[in-house]
Amino acid sequence: MSSRRSGESSSETLKITDAQIVQLLSKLKQLLPEIRNRRSNKASASKVLQETCNYVRSLHREVDDLSDRLSQLLSTVDAESPEASVIRSLIM
Amino acid sequence: MNHYVPDFEMDEDYLIPDSSSLKRHKKSTMGDEDIMELLWQNGQVVMQSQNQRSGGNKRSEMMPSTAGREIRSGVMEDDTTPCNLFMQEDEMVSWLHYPSDDNNLDMYLHNNDIMYPGLSSSASVIIPASSSQPPPPPVVNAPSPRPPIPPSKRVDEEPSQTKTANFLHFSRTNKGNLTGSAPSSSNKASQAMTLSTVVESNDRPANEPPQSRASRVTDSTALVSGANIGFRGSMSSFGAAGTSSAGREPETYDLSASSSPGTGGSGASASVEPSSQKPPPATEDRKRKGIDTDDTECYSEDVEFEYHDAKKQKRGSTSAKRTRAAEVHNLSERRRRDRINEKMKALQELIPRCNKSDKASMLDEAIEYLKSLQMQVQMMSMGYNMVPMMFPGVQRYMPTMAPMGMGMGMGMGMDHVGMNRPMVPYPPVLPGSAMPNPTAAAAHLGQRFPVPRFQMAPVPVMGPTGSQAANPSDPMMNAFPMQNASQPRVPFADPYQQYIGLPPTQMLQPQAR
Repeated sequence: MSSRRSGESSSETLKITDAQIVQLLSKLKQLLPEIRNRRSNKASASKVLQETCNYVRSLHREVDDLSDRLSQLLSTVDAESPEASVIRSLIM
Repeated sequence: MNHYVPDFEMDEDYLIPDSSSLKRHKKSTMGDEDIMELLWQNGQVVMQSQNQRSGGNKRSEMMPSTAGREIRSGVMEDDTTPCNLFMQEDEMVSWLHYPSDDNNLDMYLHNNDIMYPGLSSSASVIIPASSSQPPPPPVVNAPSPRPPIPPSKRVDEEPSQTKTANFLHFSRTNKGNLTGSAPSSSNKASQAMTLSTVVESNDRPANEPPQSRASRVTDSTALVSGANIGFRGSMSSFGAAGTSSAGREPETYDLSASSSPGTGGSGASASVEPSSQKPPPATEDRKRKGIDTDDTECYSEDVEFEYHDAKKQKRGSTSAKRTRAAEVHNLSERRRRDRINEKMKALQELIPRCNKSDKASMLDEAIEYLKSLQMQVQMMSMGYNMVPMMFPGVQRYMPTMAPMGMGMGMGMGMDHVGMNRPMVPYPPVLPGSAMPNPTAAAAHLGQRFPVPRFQMAPVPVMGPTGSQAANPSDPMMNAFPMQNASQPRVPFADPYQQYIGLPPTQMLQPQAR
């Protein structure tokens, strides 16, 4: 971003950065489920970033949800049982 | 003055539909009056105050209308025949129904609350009667008539005032103009100011009740300055314009004077306004950068449009068009970039411990984080589903399970990252024991923990429900922390590896890994 910001002044930097960014964006795209599923390989940078943010947030939610469930499960198990340890490790 | 004219015609187009109230009537010929106060309502000049609508009106009218209209259309050509002016005038006049101007500009300026943020749209635009003319007189003139008119009057006169709301649209765009216009030559500046003011005022009015508008209108001059000021950014420009248009001179300055209060007000308003507005009005104005305040996309657009108008007036339609096109392009580019930057920032916030300021490295981290998150979710979900299976009670499932072939391994790789259900790749496990169906493995997994085919290939073999397994599993478990962002994968492999070798419980069979 800084390079972007500087803009004109560092056009070269921009170029380099742009190529990297394009590459990274495409990598990111691969990870995103929606874009991948829809086979829409053309997604603007803005869209990819937006999707990434959304996906990260949803993953966070999922992790939280799973943590909750695991803790509930943990409560049903004796503290010392192996399951407990398993669960605990999972929750981390 | 003529240069402003062209817009009026366009104004009609722009005028917001509600500006029905716009009165198209031409009030008066434009004399050379210098300052015409135009009451803008809904983008139209409801009233043109000024002692002489004639002449000067043109200019002023044009400005406001143009400004109101959408300066973007920028088509304003400076040289419109007076007729055009008149036409515009009508609109403006209607909007401005202030008596034309007068020198009470000062009065207006000060009196008007419009000047201050909140200016109503009806801010009368004080249009310097003749651009060429020395500013002082016309401006002064314009306001004079105004003050006497009580705000209410305006209201009465111009029903369209209410329409100011419409004008708002323009004003928004105009805001940009203001800035842009301000810088223009003194004449223009003054005019621009008016325009911008008009524009600005429009913005304001929307919020205000018509009545207030009326009052505002009276202050056309004040409005002008105020309007400018009131509006974001543009205000600053106005101030700048005022200052810049030293040439304009008194009028301009009146405006500026008024604007100063306005500016003060606007300054306040400006400050109030989203930070997007650039504080230094002068700079803003001067540099057509008005568009720079990209903070608000619309704002910048407005600025641009306004600016274009002013510019156009200055130069010629062609060059102005070209400039405008380029500016529009820049604007959109800028907006696009801003959007992307904004998203990058949001993403950066989501990623924990990301202190990279560089885009590329940030994206790198984002990618890694995303992968680790996916992995984590998968592990957890799998574990969640598997743990119950670990309980001894699960054994009941065993008998029901048909022995699964060794080759049960599910080919679930990380593809199913998003899945909440654990995919249990089941490497051949208990040869003898019933192996749950791969699909049902999760549910039926009694004794053996499914070996998820992670890319990292850790095999969470937990299985031991038996006490024996307890011990061995512990260490393993401990070794397997679910780390969120950092290297999620690494830990997996190790713990599992160790575990695999464990135990003996009936459930657990050493699995060939």
